[in-house]
Amino acid sequence: MSRSRYQAALTVAALVCATSLHAQNTAAAPDLSDPEVAHVAVTANSIDIDMAKFALTRTHNAAVKQFAQTMITDHSAVNAQAAALAQKLGVTPADNAVSQSLLSGAKQARASLEPLRGAAFDRAYLDREVAYHQAVLDAIDKVLVPTTENAELRKLLTDVRPAIATHLEHAKQLRGQLGSPSRTSK
Amino acid sequence: MIVWLLVLLGLGSAPTTHTVEIRGMEFHPAVLTVAAGDTVVWVNRDIVPHTATATGRTKWDTGQLTQGQTGRYIAHAQGTARYACTLHPTMHGTLRIR
Repeated sequence: MSRSRYQAALTVAALVCATSLHAQNTAAAPDLSDPEVAHVAVTANSIDIDMAKFALTRTHNAAVKQFAQTMITDHSAVNAQAAALAQKLGVTPADNAVSQSLLSGAKQARASLEPLRGAAFDRAYLDREVAYHQAVLDAIDKVLVPTTENAELRKLLTDVRPAIATHLEHAKQLRGQLGSPSRTSK
Repeated sequence: MIVWLLVLLGLGSAPTTHTVEIRGMEFHPAVLTVAAGDTVVWVNRDIVPHTATATGRTKWDTGQLTQGQTGRYIAHAQGTARYACTLHPTMHGTLRIR
């Protein structure tokens, strides 16, 4: 992996796996190929689908269940669109360090949610969803859209952005309804 | 003279069909004024599915609309009919039925 590509990998990983403003503000110029961007996008969607499926096995809160179901529905629709576009363009999504970092971060997040039950789980799950969608929005704006060369792939990313922003607001709203205790899980 | 008679008899305006586009996770227009008897058609332009579902006393629901699908409602009762997307509760729209 070239040095610039390695830096891009670190940048996206920092954006998506961390929530610190410092990490977001130090985003460097990215260097991901379009097949790699496609892989990152599909991976990011799949991670949220898996997290939602896990949440459905744990939560007893109707609103949280509905939110999780929406995450499955929406991110599945986006992935179907991405797969169709990749096929149309003859692009094979290419695994890369960014995707691997995302998967590693998701594994850690899942481990931190694993021991939680009831309202504690709901709060931690929604905290994670707020942080994740905010980080994905930042990654779309600062890394994925600027680095994508193909116009149709770039349009897909910009078309998806409002849905991610809506998910973020939905997660914040729900999290606010659940109230304290303080947000501890990331 | 004939036109005035038609207007007085309420026959001057045939029911109209209005379109609300769902794009960018918003209803366009978010507020729509229609006449009782008019048809409102929602067309989903987004990648993700949506619904247009009444949140007031009069219940109606387009059901889930995937990209490109349409759903319709004939506006019966006069007044303000608010609706939302059940999948995305931050999305709201209003029909003003006169």
